[in-house]
Amino acid sequence: MHTNLLKWPLLLSVVVALCFSTAAYAQLTTYQLQDWLNSPAASSHVGDITGNAKAAALPYRRFCVGCHGELGDGNGENAVWFLTPLYAQPRNFQLAIFKCRSTPTGTLPTDQDLYDTIGRGMDRSNMPAWIPLSKQERADLVAWIKHYSPRWQTEKAGTPIQIPPEPEITPERVKAGQDVFARMQCFKCHGVQGKANGPSASTLTDDLSQPIAPFNFTDGSRPKCGSTDVDIYRIFMTGLDGTPMPSFADNIKPDEAWDLVFYLRSLQPHNAYNEKERQIANQLGLKPVNPNPAQ
Amino acid sequence: MKRQDNSKLAAVSVCLLLCLVVAGLSLSLTNWEVSAAPEGKITGTVKLDGTAPHMKGIDMSKDPWCVKQHANDPAHLELVVVGKDNGLGNVVLYISEGLSGDALNAKPTAVPVFDQKNCLYTPHVLAMDVGQEFKVETSDQTAHNIHPEPNPLTGNIPWNQSQPPGAPPVTKSWKAVEMIHVKCNIHPWMSGYFAVVKGPYAITGEDGSYTIENVPPGSYTVTAWQETYGNQTAKVTVAGGQSAKADFTFKAK
Amino acid sequence: MRIWAQSHLCQKPPQASSILAAAFTLIFLILSASQSASALPAFARKYGLRCSACHESWPILNNFGLKFRDNGYQLMNDRDAPIWQNPAYWPVTFRITPIWHRYSALSNTDTYSGGTLTGTNTAVTRIESSGFDLSGLDFHTGGTLEKNISFYVLPSSDSTAAFHFETVMARLDNIGNSPWLNVKLGRFELNNLLSEKRMVQLTANGGIYQTYHFIPVGDGNIFGQMGDNQLGMEYLGHSADDRTRISAALLSSSDGNVNLIMGSNSYSGFFTFDQGIDAGKLGVQRVGAYAFVGEAATYYRTSGGVPIPGSGIGNKGFSRVGFTGQLYLGPHFDLNVVTQHGEDNAWFGQGYGNAVATNGNGAATATCINDPAIGCPLDNVPGTTLPPGSRAPTWNGYTFEARYVVSPQFMILGVYEAERMSQQATPGTPGNLGNINNWTIAYRYNPFMTSRAGFAYHGEFNVFHQNGTGPTSPSGAPTNTNTDELLFGIDFDF
Repeated sequence: MHTNLLKWPLLLSVVVALCFSTAAYAQLTTYQLQDWLNSPAASSHVGDITGNAKAAALPYRRFCVGCHGELGDGNGENAVWFLTPLYAQPRNFQLAIFKCRSTPTGTLPTDQDLYDTIGRGMDRSNMPAWIPLSKQERADLVAWIKHYSPRWQTEKAGTPIQIPPEPEITPERVKAGQDVFARMQCFKCHGVQGKANGPSASTLTDDLSQPIAPFNFTDGSRPKCGSTDVDIYRIFMTGLDGTPMPSFADNIKPDEAWDLVFYLRSLQPHNAYNEKERQIANQLGLKPVNPNPAQ
Repeated sequence: MKRQDNSKLAAVSVCLLLCLVVAGLSLSLTNWEVSAAPEGKITGTVKLDGTAPHMKGIDMSKDPWCVKQHANDPAHLELVVVGKDNGLGNVVLYISEGLSGDALNAKPTAVPVFDQKNCLYTPHVLAMDVGQEFKVETSDQTAHNIHPEPNPLTGNIPWNQSQPPGAPPVTKSWKAVEMIHVKCNIHPWMSGYFAVVKGPYAITGEDGSYTIENVPPGSYTVTAWQETYGNQTAKVTVAGGQSAKADFTFKAK
Repeated sequence: MRIWAQSHLCQKPPQASSILAAAFTLIFLILSASQSASALPAFARKYGLRCSACHESWPILNNFGLKFRDNGYQLMNDRDAPIWQNPAYWPVTFRITPIWHRYSALSNTDTYSGGTLTGTNTAVTRIESSGFDLSGLDFHTGGTLEKNISFYVLPSSDSTAAFHFETVMARLDNIGNSPWLNVKLGRFELNNLLSEKRMVQLTANGGIYQTYHFIPVGDGNIFGQMGDNQLGMEYLGHSADDRTRISAALLSSSDGNVNLIMGSNSYSGFFTFDQGIDAGKLGVQRVGAYAFVGEAATYYRTSGGVPIPGSGIGNKGFSRVGFTGQLYLGPHFDLNVVTQHGEDNAWFGQGYGNAVATNGNGAATATCINDPAIGCPLDNVPGTTLPPGSRAPTWNGYTFEARYVVSPQFMILGVYEAERMSQQATPGTPGNLGNINNWTIAYRYNPFMTSRAGFAYHGEFNVFHQNGTGPTSPSGAPTNTNTDELLFGIDFDF
């Protein structure tokens, strides 16, 4: 008798459990991130600030949702109007592929990287610099962005690349930088004078198969991932994931990388960073590299 | 934002627990069954039914070095490669269902090589096991970038590395089953695949023939994948030490 | 848009109440309330940002919007120049606000008996009027002409479609690539942290900041008002992150009125400084100070007894100084504070200044010189002396505006303002004459929010109290002004 009494509730509970688990699974697949948002892991660490994803629900809706969308898939109401290659498409946080990283290609960026991107914005796109927001708000947004992709639950952020201290700039280094530029054949896309007019420039596409233009060093625009020497070093050593710009970490030695930074600086019009580089390039009378040395 | 209540969570965890127990049981049972009999293999031919599509030539004029390499040997897009007797090349064959245990999880020790040669990928399709290391080399005197584009939500993460002349090989592996498109942004015609599968696999030669080695006895579903025509499957049963046959025919479009 | 922005001195004649209409409007608003929108769509369309990105609730700027404005309506993304926009892009936004409005104020009334007038202004009666109304129409056009050259033009009409230039301004931004060097010229919004040009309130007394417009009773200085768009030239500078901001403006002492009739030959200066402080989880707090110091004419030369336009001389000084604060307590609540210490020269205090040939109600009259009896301002003609014991009137003002931001689409707001005389111009005047208490509560709800258009339901209630300026009671004793207003409407822009 007792067993009979027990059997039905047991069976019922199994059925209920099955039903709920199906429902829960459906929910998880459409929006699999509830638990993540509620877990202590839904946080970011930027310096001594701890960002809390939940606290960013309101700021995300206030500032970000128009482009990045409710689901963080980059399909906000404005996404369709961003015509490439003038504008980059809004980032799809679900894929968690980011241009600006201190970490090797194919790895997740650090919280600091995302935080820096939010504060810096993306030049030549409608992603503005959100530096007027409080540090806490930006850190919260980093945590929030991470909740959109399951990758943050299974992968760890990459280890930032080592960047040796910047050496003293010398004419030899600028010259050597030009050799690196030639050897790596940067001109294939960026052009021999850095004017973004290399032979492959016009056919470049990003991971969404949208046309994308290489960086033009000569028109005064800012590199997307920052303007300082270290930023430029980082850009070509980590690559801009999601774009045609690869990582050169396996092919350029750290010391050579600084040479290349100096040379790239000399291509830029006068700005706050490149006084010396331009002077040296002028004195050396550097000619643009020969794209076809063999012929 | 929707919220899950605790009862659902509890139900999910109960279910998961049950599943784990069941899965664990079945896993240990199959392991125990498989361990003895000698391994067989699956062989066959993949053919194209109909006229082979025209292989389009490639305009490499953006890179004079590439043009020079193909001065006497014009390059063609390898979307469909057909050999003698309408044999279909570059078709990946693997066991999509029926494998378990060691046969499923064993990783080949061979390191397949993907070469960038004369501004093309050799081979055009490189098959490999999940977790198996492979190497990307360059034989060219012009710069490439090697840029696979998997869907990161599968667990395979896209990366993009430069390959200037003389670049050291890149050694990598993939985490999940996926046919990963790989391209070079500098040379937009360069297009290839990393076919990542789980378990034994084979790839057809130009004559369309293949052999999947090291298949333990059992009943399987074999999948043939071709980059233009997609998937086909066939059921085969492999007896111990024997060779089973599975032929495929793709219809030309 | 200052719909009701005439000062409380021009009260409208009130009539009967209409609870029915109020109920109707309420029901309509409740029924139609559904789901989001509003910024200057001219900017939102250009940059694809939602209203809420720049506005706490339109048109109040948040810190990001403040930086956008300080950059000269630029995101600084190297895509600010109009050449990057679709050729069809034209930066125009119109805004209009259909409303229902109830106004209640005290007035002197006549008495009748048996169908005949038995007494003129023999009673004080509360008069209520209500009805449907429209605000004027604003055409906001603003943006950039080229990178780092921006403009803002705002032709604004009253509800009868009579237009005036609310704002006309061109700006050179980031001169020498420095955010510290920006110059603008024209008629523009003063750099007030709590800006009257960016308030959500729409009622007559709640739709202006009393602290910005306060003038002691009997004072003739209309030039020291900080809420109006002013004519002049402004230097602005800010740090790259916009945390530190400074500005200095040289203005015509004309209360923003175009042409040289008023306040010619006299200038004033408006200086502001504020500093944002990142207070962690509370948000970015901003504290600052301002000073408005200047001179204005008290004497217009006359020809045949008629003042000559543009001839103002006899400049006397005035000053308004105070602190500002924008204090956040987390993401939902903020408190904005403005304090003011004001002082006018004794000549102003005695009613000199603004000595144009008008009768005090805007109408020109040739005989309007030194005749306060017919509402004429006083003119400091040669030989005029101040009454003995005249002093410079001084006062202190406080504005507190608290906002509760439920979500980017819904905001509730409460304002309290206090103006307190500390020294009257004429000894013996009651010390509290002209003191103001002003309360406003309002909500603003955007049922939807996109980057294309703005649409909001608006509700507001205001109570205004001023000592000693109400209608004179039959016994001759002064009464207080006690006015209240209720307003519901739809505010939209596209």
